[in-house]
Amino acid sequence: MTDVVDRPDPPPSPEPAGSSGPSVPEIATAAPPASAPIVLDRASRWYGNVVAVNDISFSLGAGITGLLGPNGAGKTTILHLLAGLLRPSSGRVLIGGRTAWRNPSIYRDLGLVPEREAVHAFLTGRQFVELAARLQGLPDPAAAAARAIATVELDQAADRPVGTYSKGMRQRAKIAASLVHEPPILLLDEPFNGMDPRQRLHMMDLLRSMAASGRTILFSSHILEEVERLADGILVIYAGRLAAAGDFREIRRLMTDRPHTFVVRSSDDRRLAAAFLGEPAVFGADLRDDRLTIQVTEFSGFTRIVARVARDTGVSLFEVAPTDDSLESVFEYLVTRR
Amino acid sequence: MNASGAVAAIANVTFRALLGRRRTLLMLLVAGLPVLLGLIVRADQERPRALVGALEGLIITSVLPLVSLIFGTAALGSELDDGTAVHILTKPIPRWTIVVPKLLVAAGLTAVMLVPSTILSGVLIGGTGSRQIGITFAFAIAALVGSFVYAAIFVALSAATSRGLVIGLGYSLIWEGILAGALPGTQLFSVREYLRGIVAAIGPKDTLVSVVGAQGFLLAAVAFVVVTTFACIRLARFEIRAAD
Repeated sequence: MTDVVDRPDPPPSPEPAGSSGPSVPEIATAAPPASAPIVLDRASRWYGNVVAVNDISFSLGAGITGLLGPNGAGKTTILHLLAGLLRPSSGRVLIGGRTAWRNPSIYRDLGLVPEREAVHAFLTGRQFVELAARLQGLPDPAAAAARAIATVELDQAADRPVGTYSKGMRQRAKIAASLVHEPPILLLDEPFNGMDPRQRLHMMDLLRSMAASGRTILFSSHILEEVERLADGILVIYAGRLAAAGDFREIRRLMTDRPHTFVVRSSDDRRLAAAFLGEPAVFGADLRDDRLTIQVTEFSGFTRIVARVARDTGVSLFEVAPTDDSLESVFEYLVTRR
Repeated sequence: MNASGAVAAIANVTFRALLGRRRTLLMLLVAGLPVLLGLIVRADQERPRALVGALEGLIITSVLPLVSLIFGTAALGSELDDGTAVHILTKPIPRWTIVVPKLLVAAGLTAVMLVPSTILSGVLIGGTGSRQIGITFAFAIAALVGSFVYAAIFVALSAATSRGLVIGLGYSLIWEGILAGALPGTQLFSVREYLRGIVAAIGPKDTLVSVVGAQGFLLAAVAFVVVTTFACIRLARFEIRAAD
């Protein structure tokens, strides 16, 4: 199910995406059910005149959802709203049906892995995770901490001060502390920052297995590939607004099938431009300063015909390059597509 | 969870955080200044007035607010600013279980430095005559009470604003140092006046003249409770200071 928000028709009800197993999270953006583990209901947050989050609604069920957007889009603000660390300027934010703001009881069901690295440097990894277990009121903090440390594979370094940790180790210590009470809801802000590829794969496996056991996991990232590899559901945030929400593959298709512009270099640009204009996938060609720019209706349609057209016209292609493939332009397109 | 467990865990971490090597050395140095001065001046048993002036000027007006300010703002404010506090805030514990241990640790460390400093400098400056010992003892009690009231004020300031250190310094220097006591009626809102009242109440007769007198104890206790409650309320409404 994919829904580009703010369109006039209500979105279809969520349906399971059969190919990806049971961990596809249910994402609803219209009239989110208050009983869902995570709910933002017309939530906004502004700082003075600056709107950080603008009238966003969604609810999430069990599974892994990626919160994708460029830096400064409002991802961290959304996670802080969900974690009860920011008051919504308007709207509601619910965790497990309870108001998140000024309600410490939500932290029994919630684990937060903040992006900032700050941890008391003098504590060992084990002491840091045990502190979290104690503050959660767990009956055996030492055993719970040992389990969480083993889960993130930090055993070897657990008795060293956090101050001596690498960025990736610190990140794993934070993750261990946030899941020491085995919360049903886990929020992670840019969790893969600083991890090496092996740690990243291990962490992805860990999050997948947690999702498979019915947990609701929301993680933010500005890297499309991270979200693509891990998340089944996706929320795209751009400039404080929810640009798109739903199944990853659908949104990936939307991103790919949007209008594109290609720069083409060939042995005869003029002849090639004329040939392209006869194709339905192409709606414009511009030959200026020895540079041929082709406007196409969709990315994949053009890539299928480009070689054939060149061959048919007997022109040699030297270069075909999309001009606007930055994530920024993709997000902008999704927002303006409403 | 059991609140005493949370209080103990947070007190332990706060204690270790506050005893960073540089901060401790600096605070020991500041708290040791009156002792150093005492070593230079040495006992002059004929001049108890000088003792009162020295202890009031050095301990009550200068060193006590300064050491409290550093420990009080570091206990909570620096953790809120650098993000360390998030790991404690996102736990299912009432906010007073965060404020109270932090405040008590900051106050305790201030008192542990200030009370011996007061006694040592009092003996060095005033000698061991019974009147001088009485004066020194009264100032030591005032320093003990002041450690708690000032720590509460600076922890509350940290919970309310990210500029706790600067505002706290301004408050100590301008309000407590200059304005309070200079204008009629302001004494009721000045920690320094409460502490002067405590000295006047328990020190030898005519140690100093105070408007609040023995009520200093009561006023200090009320200020401590009010400010601590305010700190708990502010922390419950705390909004994270960094966003993307």
